[in-house]
Amino acid sequence: MRVARLLMDYAIAFFILCSLGFVLPRLLPGDPFLAIYGEEAALSMTPEMKVEIYRRFALDQSWTEQFGAYVGSLLRGDLGWSYFFNTPVMRVMTGFLPWTLLLAGASLLISTVSGFVLGLESGSRKGSRWDKGVFAGLMLLGGVPDFFVGTLLLLGFAVIWPLFPLGGATTVYGGLTGWAWAIDVLRHLALPLASLVLARMTTMYLLCRNSTVALLRSPFLRTARSKGCDEVAIRYRHLGRSVLLPAATSAGLHLSHLFAGILMIEVVFGYPGMGTLLQRALAARDYPLLQGILLLASVAVLGVNFIVELLYPILDPRVKTVCTSNTGKN
Amino acid sequence: MHIQYGKKLKSGPGHWGLLLLGFWAAIALAGFFVTPYAPDAYTGKAFLAPSSAHWLGTNDVGQDIFSQLMAGARTSLGVAVGASIASAFLGALLGAGGALVGGWVERLTMRMMDIGLVIPPILAAMLAAAYLQPSPVTLVGILAFFFWPGTGRILRAQTLLLRESGPVTAARTFGAGRGYLLRRHILPDLAPVLSAAMIHDARRAVFLEAGLAFLGISDPTVQSWGRMIQQALAFTYLDVWQWWLLPPGIAVTTLVLAFALIGTGLEETHASD
Repeated sequence: MRVARLLMDYAIAFFILCSLGFVLPRLLPGDPFLAIYGEEAALSMTPEMKVEIYRRFALDQSWTEQFGAYVGSLLRGDLGWSYFFNTPVMRVMTGFLPWTLLLAGASLLISTVSGFVLGLESGSRKGSRWDKGVFAGLMLLGGVPDFFVGTLLLLGFAVIWPLFPLGGATTVYGGLTGWAWAIDVLRHLALPLASLVLARMTTMYLLCRNSTVALLRSPFLRTARSKGCDEVAIRYRHLGRSVLLPAATSAGLHLSHLFAGILMIEVVFGYPGMGTLLQRALAARDYPLLQGILLLASVAVLGVNFIVELLYPILDPRVKTVCTSNTGKN
Repeated sequence: MHIQYGKKLKSGPGHWGLLLLGFWAAIALAGFFVTPYAPDAYTGKAFLAPSSAHWLGTNDVGQDIFSQLMAGARTSLGVAVGASIASAFLGALLGAGGALVGGWVERLTMRMMDIGLVIPPILAAMLAAAYLQPSPVTLVGILAFFFWPGTGRILRAQTLLLRESGPVTAARTFGAGRGYLLRRHILPDLAPVLSAAMIHDARRAVFLEAGLAFLGISDPTVQSWGRMIQQALAFTYLDVWQWWLLPPGIAVTTLVLAFALIGTGLEETHASD
């Protein structure tokens, strides 16, 4: 019952997101062809291509038929043609995707682990100077927009004190192989990754700190202490176990912030992933590419959130179905 | 339950938040009437260092950076205030209103909120903005459209609590009508929750407005801190970043921080009551 409802909600949300790409260009005054493809693209197209696009979007037919054509091409994974790269949008994106996935995976892992450790340590010392310091520091950091964290790190460690390269993912024409190549990749990854971790750690930290504080007086901790367990074991084996899973799943629901952050951080560092591609698509007014990137990001987030919400009560049996949408427990 | 905000925000984080917000509000208001130069006018040589004529110097095409900063404050605060009010209105109408009316209206609005909450507002707003290249007014509409389910859910939960609370039941037994209950009991007691939600929305709106402009997904004729940062990033190899790149970045950060501090201050208000 719950799963069916959830599935319906996500299906409708997915439908709404996809329809944005259909409704919005047609809401704008003027030729929807121009709104979908942009004026520059329209000018550079041959008449045959225009006819082909009219046919594909069924632009000369009724709205319902147009919508059918639109949904049909989306379902086939056809996001349109990028006129700037002169390649299907899907293929352009797969070329840039690996770098974004590297950045996303690494930052998700590091910010989750460090947020967890800091939150646990901070929460179990609630009220101490250490706790207050870390809390204030991370609250402040969490308020700085992602792209400005990136900008500050860029200024600090690449401009003023040139420890790391200014941008890119590898040294262009470096001709590096093997270990030298791996180290080069890591050096380029360091600053964007650090910016993302710094900007995104606060959510996980707060979730862990809150649940730690809520559990501080629980009987199972008293039992562990009276058995003679040492504090570190209690903190990580007993307390940590009941804190990590719910906090990590809730953090999974904040994935959209990470994705938005990645798009912006990549622009700061010229990291050749989806964010940089987005910026290039904007500069060239390559609309199909632009929409493909954002649609892919939203759909990916939607998919992950759905899985997280499905698994939530299974991973943490304490969560009853009534409060599945309540992420921040105090 | 009825809280005196002025008193509660006079100390602690809320106080600092109000001061910061006041500072930017003053600059934004001043920006409506007068800026040293027209923000998009070419007023001198390119890349001038700060001086008495140009407080923050000039950018790569000789526009006055301080004037742009003032105009950016106007856009940022305007969008934040607009989006939080519009989202609060929709949330109150559909969340609290649905809970009060009950029946199929309640079921429908609840379902709308459930679905809305599933959609990630940041990415959805970016997607919508990419199609529309929005002016600040359109942006307010987009943000409100994706923000309201969050506000609505909180207001709905609070309304359900209030509907069954002591004072409301008592008033009802004395024969109070629906309108009277709404005006005298429910709306005033929704205020603390509503204000917290509005502050939260305003903070997200400032962040998103700057972020969208930073990515270039906004009306290019409107001044924005995000756009300033984007343009200045291309010139990090010159010294200009000190007065071109840092000020708008610090501006966004302090404004986001101001809303966060006020939010924390209001939360502490809740906790102590």
